[in-house]
Amino acid sequence: MNRKWMFLFLMLTGLALTSGCWGKKELTDIALVSALGIDKNEEGRYVGTIQIINPGNVAGGLQGGGGGQAPSITTYSATGDNMVEMSRRASTKISRRLYYAHTNLVVINEELAKEEGITKIFDAFDRDPEFRTTATIIIAHDTKAADILKTLTGVDKIPANKVIKTLKFTEQRWGEHMEVSIQEGIKDLVSPGKEPVITGFRVNGNAEQGKKLENVQQSALEAILQADGLAVFKDGKLVDWFQGETARGVTWILDKIQGTDININWEGEQEAIAYQVIRQKTKVSANMKNGQPKISIHVRAEGDIGEVMVPVDLTVPSVLFNIEKTLEKEIQKEINHAIQRAQKNQSDIFGFGEAVHRSNPKAWKKLKQDWNNVHFPQLKADVTVEAFVRRTGLRNKPYFSNMESNQ
Amino acid sequence: MEKAKISAYQLFVLILLFEHGTTLLIPLAVEAKQDAWLAVLLGTVGGFILFWIYYGLYQYYPDNLPTQYVQKIIGKVLGRLLGFFFLLYFMYIAARDLRDFGEMLVTVAYPDTPLFIVNALLMLVMVYTVRKGIEVLARTGELFFIIVYLFAITGFILVIASGLLNLTNLKPVLEEGILSIIKITFTQTLYFPFGEVVAFAMILPYVNQSKKAKVAGLFAIGLSGINIAIITALNISVLGVDLVSRSPFPLLSTIQTIRVAEFLERLDVYFMLTSIICGFFKISVYCYVAVIGIADLFNIKESSRLVYPIGIVILFLSITIASNTSEHIKEGLQIIPFFVHMPLQVAVPLLLLVIAFFKNRKSR
Repeated sequence: MNRKWMFLFLMLTGLALTSGCWGKKELTDIALVSALGIDKNEEGRYVGTIQIINPGNVAGGLQGGGGGQAPSITTYSATGDNMVEMSRRASTKISRRLYYAHTNLVVINEELAKEEGITKIFDAFDRDPEFRTTATIIIAHDTKAADILKTLTGVDKIPANKVIKTLKFTEQRWGEHMEVSIQEGIKDLVSPGKEPVITGFRVNGNAEQGKKLENVQQSALEAILQADGLAVFKDGKLVDWFQGETARGVTWILDKIQGTDININWEGEQEAIAYQVIRQKTKVSANMKNGQPKISIHVRAEGDIGEVMVPVDLTVPSVLFNIEKTLEKEIQKEINHAIQRAQKNQSDIFGFGEAVHRSNPKAWKKLKQDWNNVHFPQLKADVTVEAFVRRTGLRNKPYFSNMESNQ
Repeated sequence: MEKAKISAYQLFVLILLFEHGTTLLIPLAVEAKQDAWLAVLLGTVGGFILFWIYYGLYQYYPDNLPTQYVQKIIGKVLGRLLGFFFLLYFMYIAARDLRDFGEMLVTVAYPDTPLFIVNALLMLVMVYTVRKGIEVLARTGELFFIIVYLFAITGFILVIASGLLNLTNLKPVLEEGILSIIKITFTQTLYFPFGEVVAFAMILPYVNQSKKAKVAGLFAIGLSGINIAIITALNISVLGVDLVSRSPFPLLSTIQTIRVAEFLERLDVYFMLTSIICGFFKISVYCYVAVIGIADLFNIKESSRLVYPIGIVILFLSITIASNTSEHIKEGLQIIPFFVHMPLQVAVPLLLLVIAFFKNRKSR
């Protein structure tokens, strides 16, 4: 009997001792870091900007009242020779322990990416068990990383979430940008057959006004965070920005298009028909011909007609067939633009090198050394596109086609 | 010898959980790059042969523990000495595995807790189970086997559902040629995890259906080989070769990248639960075979009395075998396979089988 009680006592003590009080962190003692920005100052030290969520103000805003007194986030800056020093030194300014497990966004200064490169800054994020490598990386385009983090946003109260959701939905709807996580970024940096591409964000408007609470108290915000361009890297350094259709050419090749809109000219009218891509699949393969690598890119796109600005009879299959042919040329043009520009930059952002490695590991061993500088710029890429118009929406002929025939 | 019996199915479950013990935790055959899964499968084939050797020895002496039959095969003094070496080996590997799990927990989840506390708490549970005997351990195994499989299947579905599986990472197959894979098999995957089944030579006499034991053992090794190969291939296809080779716990990194429907993410606990359950069985089995072996060798009637002292020895050994993680891993991958695993898992049992074969032929 005595033994049983003894055992119960031991179990209860064990329960009390093992329930995690050793490294306890009270919720009121941690500062949830939503985003981290990295700049560099004149002395060559890193300046980290830490965006911390003010939980009370986020909740207040959602309930429709009480959210007006203070912004939903607070930012702090700290300097250091590396990320860990910067983060630890930041504790001189912040009343709580910085908690990085919910950090979803890392913003990198454009100048830093151009001059020093991004090769070395990710180690702390990769190594730390608290930090998640699924966090998204973006490059601050034409502004400091700090400004991106300090800008207050509407609708989605936490700027880090606003940036990530913007990226997610623009990737689905427009397709010129893509979400790249730290893990993917590192993978591309390490691989000899692929270079990283990372989406840029800019502050559209007055960055100073964007920091004030008044920014979100009006219907047209003074400063908006906007996805802007794809940053192309070579040897870890930012070398070029791809914009518009060139950027979309990159997402086509990388098979990241989930939906987009393509305009084509029709019977002399510019940009007369809008085609909405619903699904697509890109296959990249490599083969060796006479000792030279050759890349074949095959794109298959399916979609609907979204809008027509010319009287065109969409009930006729041959018309749709012609539209498909024009679309194929248009997509081919975008892809070729992107390839040419990347070849000029001597940066294989498409992973063609990896395709060669997969198909012909022996040849790759020889080509690997100067892939980006010698072989990639001379690469011949054979682009074939298949575009399908599946449906034309609720109407076949546009309403104005009958108007014109009446006249 | 403890008076206990386990069924062939229970043996199957125990071997399966045992094999998954540390293999879920650490990267296997990273030198084989994207072909690591092939090296694991080749290791499984080797595992079949090794199990056949242990089973062959068991068939000659179905009622004796290995510590007893080595004395019959090579004489009392040498046999006792060899048996003693085996027991030291079991205790040492138990300590190594305990250290592996302690390191994982401290690195991943409890950065502020000392390693000793983590290891002591793990050891406490295992010592309690081992004290209750092999039957209890086997029944616990049956229970957890289902749980582990549920975790494994849901985890696998989640990885696929989040669209992380990138099979192109597994290409090109056999980049370095088949010879390098065979080399890695014989320097690594054969001994760890498949050769470690040598611990079950001590458990085979407890199985009540000796014929079925062979089938159960081979099935368990085959299935765990396939499972481990799938996990290895999964890690590589999700993370890529480079990241796997840089991660001390690749499966954790794989699980961490799962993101399904915005809310199913950060499932680290999945990994922790599964690996700790399997690790529990691995260390418990080692601990148990060390206890019954010592009881047998030193003629101690009540083997359960030995459990606590041996548990404490394993616990302290786990702390003192290495001063940091790198040293611990380096020893495990470069020194142990050649100087400890190879002789004790392959050379000695094979030699014993040959001698036993001739001895028994003569007597007949």
